[in-house]
Amino acid sequence: MSSSIYINSKDVFLDTVNSKDYIQLDRVSTIYQALKDSIKKPLKMILLYGKPGTGKSMFLTKLYNDLSSSQKVHIYRTPILDESEFYKTLAQDIFTTKYNGELNFTQFMKIVNNISLDSIPVVLLDEAQLYSDILMEKIRLLSDTRTIKFVITLHKTEKEDLIAKEHFQTRIWESIELENASTTELKTYIQKKLMKANCFDTANMFTNKSVHKIFKLTNGNYRDTNKLLYTLFDIYTAYDENHQLSSIGTTHIPNKLIEMSAIHTGLIDA
Amino acid sequence: MLNTRDLEQRWLRYKIKSYIPHFIIFTSIIVISVIILTFFNSDKKYAGKLLQKINKTQIEAKTDKIVITNTPKVTLLEDDTKVKSTNYKETPVISSKIQENKPSNLGDDSLKLAPSLDFMKSMQHSTLPYYKEEPVIQQEKALVISEEVQELEPIEDIQPEVVTEEEVKRITIKRRDASNDIRDIIKRFKKNNNPALSLFVAKKYYELEEYHKAYNYALITNQINRDIDASWIIFAKSLVKLKQRDMAIKTLNKYLKSSHSSSAKILRDEIISGKFK
Repeated sequence: MSSSIYINSKDVFLDTVNSKDYIQLDRVSTIYQALKDSIKKPLKMILLYGKPGTGKSMFLTKLYNDLSSSQKVHIYRTPILDESEFYKTLAQDIFTTKYNGELNFTQFMKIVNNISLDSIPVVLLDEAQLYSDILMEKIRLLSDTRTIKFVITLHKTEKEDLIAKEHFQTRIWESIELENASTTELKTYIQKKLMKANCFDTANMFTNKSVHKIFKLTNGNYRDTNKLLYTLFDIYTAYDENHQLSSIGTTHIPNKLIEMSAIHTGLIDA
Repeated sequence: MLNTRDLEQRWLRYKIKSYIPHFIIFTSIIVISVIILTFFNSDKKYAGKLLQKINKTQIEAKTDKIVITNTPKVTLLEDDTKVKSTNYKETPVISSKIQENKPSNLGDDSLKLAPSLDFMKSMQHSTLPYYKEEPVIQQEKALVISEEVQELEPIEDIQPEVVTEEEVKRITIKRRDASNDIRDIIKRFKKNNNPALSLFVAKKYYELEEYHKAYNYALITNQINRDIDASWIIFAKSLVKLKQRDMAIKTLNKYLKSSHSSSAKILRDEIISGKFK
């Protein structure tokens, strides 16, 4: 195998949120379809939640790409923490109204009421746990007018369950949870991702044993898996460049290399 | 580019670290299992010893049964029977029977059964020390018994003889008893001067027809206690037997003045009338 295949394989697992990199898994497809159906319904607010690295941002990006061709969709991957800035951005993106100076909630509501739209625009807010309680209250009021539909994503950490908070519980009409992948899902995810980039040889190197080892280290978390596999192929590239590839073999991924990758990424505290 | 050498070294350290708990668990399991095994083995050995001891005692207790059943273990009792043969005439018969059943090879365990003989030995010799511990007076009794046995042995041998001869022999025994009794009582009387003892001696001598001695002891009794009726009667009777009839009547008369004894009065009348001679 040429060194370029390891470099290509390495690049596959770069931690980027690109809808083109979205991997169609059975369970994920079902969830995605459920989310698309929910958007068609006259619901005020839809919540997408899960642990970090479960693919929320990717989901939201995919949804944006899929919906943008058929309806007005706006995605905000980084939260706009300033209230005035938030209203001004929405006014410009949804209602194409540029506003100079401070824009408060009352002024923004005037804009919303004055301009009528053909269809209800969908606003996708990533990392919603970073928004303040006051701003979240204003977002609720906005969604109650049914002039804007909000899809928000937030982390569900073990430290703090934000969904349990009152202001989220009362305003959410539909909630979808994203989870880590199972061993089989992880194998499919890895192989599909590699095959998508025409890395068939490296895709075949992942046996059940090696995938099981990866699962043990990453617990099926997509972000951790991407990080680990990126390092793994980085190591392969290094061995290849040092002409030591024969010492590690190219037929399957040895546990030694997976563990070395885990040590490098910090998944193993060595 | 990654430094694979450094990464490999880190991986090696990690591997060693990860195997340490396994190694500790494995060695501790081995150590624990060795301890348990040694503990159980020691227990088994101790139990085995105990069993051996129990078996020994059980076999010792059943030695008689073993002889009857004629099992190979009976041969072990040969030593027993040999010991017995020194004391009993029947043992040669038993030993010969045992020798017939004797197996070609004797085990060490079977020889351990020999102590069962000690019981028999102790039984045999147990009688002697018992009598040795007896007090001095009882030694005399033992002597009397031995004398009796010596005299009785010929009687047993001459069972078909005439009954009258046996009676004669018995009389001699009684005499010896009486004389010994008298000696013993005289000793006691000398110690405590009890008139009852001197009266008894007087009566015994009178029965043995030693009237002079009977007279003396009756007199001694009267000197100690003048109110003993039986003593005056023996005194008077002895006087009559010693041909002192008048003296006897005179003595009884004197006694009757103070006592009004009916038996003394009857004796006086019998002496006077000549019924008592």
